[in-house]
Amino acid sequence: MPESRAKSGQFVTPGDRLGVIEEFTPGPGTYAEQGTVYSEITGRTLIDMLNKKVSVYPMVRVVVFPKVGSTVLGQVQDVQSRTARLRISKVGENAIAGFFSGILHISDVSPGFVENMFEVCKKGDLMRAKVISDKNRVFHLSTADKNLGVVYAFCSRCGHLLPLKGQRARCSSCDKIEKRKVASDYGEVEI
Amino acid sequence: MPKKKTKKLIDKNGVRIDGRELNKLRPIKLEVGILDNADGSAYIEQGKNKILVGVYGPKEVHPKHLAISDRALLRCRYHMAPFSVQERKSPAPSRRERELSKVIKEALQPAIFVKYYPRTSIELFIEVLQADGGTRCASLTAASLALADAGIPMRDLVAACAAGKVEGHLALDLNDTEDKEGEADLPVAWIPTLNAVTLLQMDGKVTLEEFEQLVNMAIEGCKQIYPLQKEALKAKYIAVKEEVKE
Repeated sequence: MPESRAKSGQFVTPGDRLGVIEEFTPGPGTYAEQGTVYSEITGRTLIDMLNKKVSVYPMVRVVVFPKVGSTVLGQVQDVQSRTARLRISKVGENAIAGFFSGILHISDVSPGFVENMFEVCKKGDLMRAKVISDKNRVFHLSTADKNLGVVYAFCSRCGHLLPLKGQRARCSSCDKIEKRKVASDYGEVEI
Repeated sequence: MPKKKTKKLIDKNGVRIDGRELNKLRPIKLEVGILDNADGSAYIEQGKNKILVGVYGPKEVHPKHLAISDRALLRCRYHMAPFSVQERKSPAPSRRERELSKVIKEALQPAIFVKYYPRTSIELFIEVLQADGGTRCASLTAASLALADAGIPMRDLVAACAAGKVEGHLALDLNDTEDKEGEADLPVAWIPTLNAVTLLQMDGKVTLEEFEQLVNMAIEGCKQIYPLQKEALKAKYIAVKEEVKE
């Protein structure tokens, strides 16, 4: 790449020189090493002259990875009296490669006291949760918010999808009544 | 088995058995993103070499105790298909394949920002469909493209090329016959922006001066391969954009 500053919208690959740090602050998709800013992904350059910032808009798949604070979607793998294990398949709106496991503890289910984990979720349910910690090699999750909790629940007796009535759900096929910690948009989420 | 030497490897004009000059690469064809199910993929044809690379990740590490708490674990499997060589190769991983998996992994690691994805693994699968000498270099060239295609942040692409000594001449990018019947082979992997060599191996015997010349020659080869890699990435993503326009 020539010495002159890069233009916006240019196609770059990893390792392409974008400028020096005196010219630009390195934004997403770039890195700075020894005073020079390089691209770290394949994409097009995006130069913000106002803030003197250079970033690379990706043309490749965006790698998503759960971080503390991100909202994730997952399927309940296993429920015990105090914990539930989630198989995280989506971070925000993006599906991830493979999956990650997360743990939801009963103390993080809702702001109030919850006595029984089986009244929160059941195996097979789809849940939305927030990552609150990544200590001890696992993602710790929380559903203590209106928009967090079960988004799709299945009857534990017949496996039918459960329509919602308040905090309770009644199976339309076998009339079993079950309790869940539901999200505000229960049953309306596109998976 | 008696060694048959029907033909000289290099004639008096300095032309090699496949018609190349001493400092010429074999023709290289690179393709990016040809597999649907892998997160990233690449294919390389270098002379008669045909190699396919697939990448998965970053994903959860299994078994869990192998996870590294501050960075991603890079895993690599170099494998030769049973039909890749003249005499059927057992599909089980050989000593050589284990070694190549390790050196390829270590050659790529400095180029990848592994710190971004702690406790995950990035898995690299290299499948040699047809081998004709210099597969570790061709694999590396394709593997760095597959990683770029998977959107994994990297300092730079890694280019790799070998140089060697054949019948007293120093030659670039040896093919299978030259590798087996020549005196020495020296593969090099090179990261352009860091100007760093991340793989340097050698078999055979050369003098100290020849060694230096060979290293420089191999790096020159890498410098010729690097623009081809960029071109391959461009070809894929620019072509995709034009398709969308229509």
